[in-house]
Amino acid sequence: MTDTALTSSTLDAAQRDALIARLTALADDELILSHRDAEWVGHAPILEEDIALANIAQDELGHAGVWLSLRGDLDGSDPDTLAFRRDAGEYRSARLVELPRGDWAFTLVRQFLFDAYEAVLIDETCASTYAPLAEAARKIVREERFHLQHTALWVERLGLGTDESNRRSQAALDELWPHTPQLFAPVPGEESLVAAGIVPDLAGVQARWTPLVTAHLARSGLRVPATPSAPPAPRTEHTEHLAELLREMQEVARQEDPGTVW
Amino acid sequence: MNETSAPEAPSGETQHRETQWPRWEVLKQDAPARPHQAVGSVHATDPEHALVTARTLFARRPSAVSMWVVPDHAILARTQEQDERGEPLPDTAEGEAQPYVVARKVNHKRSMTFVDVVGTVTATSPARALDLARATFPEPPALAWWVFPDAAVTRTDDTPETVESWFAPAKDKTYRQQSSYGVVGTHASERRGRRAAAPAGEQSGGEHD
Repeated sequence: MTDTALTSSTLDAAQRDALIARLTALADDELILSHRDAEWVGHAPILEEDIALANIAQDELGHAGVWLSLRGDLDGSDPDTLAFRRDAGEYRSARLVELPRGDWAFTLVRQFLFDAYEAVLIDETCASTYAPLAEAARKIVREERFHLQHTALWVERLGLGTDESNRRSQAALDELWPHTPQLFAPVPGEESLVAAGIVPDLAGVQARWTPLVTAHLARSGLRVPATPSAPPAPRTEHTEHLAELLREMQEVARQEDPGTVW
Repeated sequence: MNETSAPEAPSGETQHRETQWPRWEVLKQDAPARPHQAVGSVHATDPEHALVTARTLFARRPSAVSMWVVPDHAILARTQEQDERGEPLPDTAEGEAQPYVVARKVNHKRSMTFVDVVGTVTATSPARALDLARATFPEPPALAWWVFPDAAVTRTDDTPETVESWFAPAKDKTYRQQSSYGVVGTHASERRGRRAAAPAGEQSGGEHD
């Protein structure tokens, strides 16, 4: 890092608010996706992949913790309180990660689309002018490269495997694809962060992501559906599935008083 | 146990549909100067899948710099007990001379690994490779041998990008040995008046989670 790097005390108020919103979106995507992946524990098709998906879920949960800690540096919030005491309306997750886990093809196609997004996004975030964010990204990017290798391998095998696995993968892609543009929609005030080099421009991330995933999907015998022309919904509008997911995820924590230490 | 033949159902028995994927043995290298060691096995559809699965299962926490996977049918395994019983070796076809990797187990005190790679020999069959292995690596006496063609091994590549994304993250992850968690009653180590637990985050023995 150069000595001109930004720190939490050198951000202006608008940058600070926008960065809180961006970190919350990053964290909520990883937290919700982690929960969806964890729903497979004990249910995956074979033992090795059961453990592998649990590993990925743990990594994503760890990333959510990193983003929420960075947010805590800015506003004093507590990661556990944010995870376990917010209602669906306060979450900023994307719809892609909220959808139920579906079958194995649905889970792996979603994880592939998300891993590719995260790998590109975090790769570009390594150059952030906000030193704590750049440092976190440099750690996370390594794990994401491996996640992407793992899930890309699965997409290829499911797409080219049997008629049944191809059919299921295509059905998953058809359902998931229209939700992908929301990942690249800026949060309020994000342009001030891009201008200051704090976060990468999401349009640029999408421009790298699109050929990366479409080439691999085509190699895997899958047709890429049309991208919706309507602008994506804001991250304040959730699927019906989020509230039910949070009810289960937060159930135990909410039986205790806030601040209970386990 | 021959690198050229797929596993076959024993003749005369009712054949049942095989739904399990092929098995691959996993060998992990902890540091550049250390041997590759057999750490366990995975079921996977193909070599690349086996390697990715092996990384996830066997290199999440402990340090590693390289991994190999070998299909189980490519390995000729031999134990001291088989030698003592005079059990015949499986028939293995003669072929072109090729390098075989030799791995062996030399004591019973190991909990996390089975055999260690000691080197290679060049031979025209697995049986001849085993003979050569015994002659080339006589000491200390081996409790178990593995020989397998070098060509049957699929390896992680050693580019910085792979080392960074496959193996580096595990080094920064702290973890606890099982012994550092609370138990009901008194932990045996406390009764003996010893320190109860290794400090979290130490690479103190390659515990898997």
